[in-house]
Amino acid sequence: MADQPRYPGTPRWVKVFGIAALVVILLFVILLLIGGGHGPGRHTSSGALRGRTPPSSILQRGAPQT
Amino acid sequence: MTMAPRLRKVALTAHITSSVGWLGSVAGFLALAVAGLASQDPQTVRAAYLGMELTGRYVIVPLNLASLLTGLVQSLGTTWGLFRHYWVLAKFLINVFATIILLTFMQRGTLGYLAGAAADTTLSSTDLLRVRSLAPVLHAGASLLLLLVATTLGVYKPRGLTPYGWRKQHELRAARGEYPGRADP
Repeated sequence: MADQPRYPGTPRWVKVFGIAALVVILLFVILLLIGGGHGPGRHTSSGALRGRTPPSSILQRGAPQT
Repeated sequence: MTMAPRLRKVALTAHITSSVGWLGSVAGFLALAVAGLASQDPQTVRAAYLGMELTGRYVIVPLNLASLLTGLVQSLGTTWGLFRHYWVLAKFLINVFATIILLTFMQRGTLGYLAGAAADTTLSSTDLLRVRSLAPVLHAGASLLLLLVATTLGVYKPRGLTPYGWRKQHELRAARGEYPGRADP
């Protein structure tokens, strides 16, 4: 009785992709943890909002989550 | 269940159109995001953020959902399957990831915040320039990169069966009698 061939294993490109995806996700999580949040307050141009009070009309809308 | 050849062509056309359209609309969004970030002219910033919200809501999100849906139809309705080949699975995961990020970014995130600021006519030009953000540029740039990867996977279709795909392929071969002496009951 002939058995079916053995599974040849995961291709190299899949392993490379998987590692790259894990690294990106880890970096993102680390940035979230040390950055304490994610949103325009974090990415404002020239750090415009860092250490300053945003306009009151913007504050009333609440902080975005992403 | 596999689709008839004519239906498969229709589904493939819909998938390519929506996916490439999604990529193009993200490129347009990126141009607006860069203009909104780099310009010192409040009118340009206001127009860019309002344009980004409209493009996102009425072009990017529909094309994104259409791409996801037609991709599912295309994979499940053909012999490729959704979980049999690594390249199909990778494209699906990229699409799902991009969809989650896009919907969060659109509905609860930075874009709504920026578009709200741009639509607020009581906001002074100085305040408007202060709320400019790098986030749309980062999100659009990362999306563009992911979509280029997905397009490349779709075109090159790199080899590689998942363990599930391998098992299914050999079950099919066994059923066809390609393994002598291993007749299924």
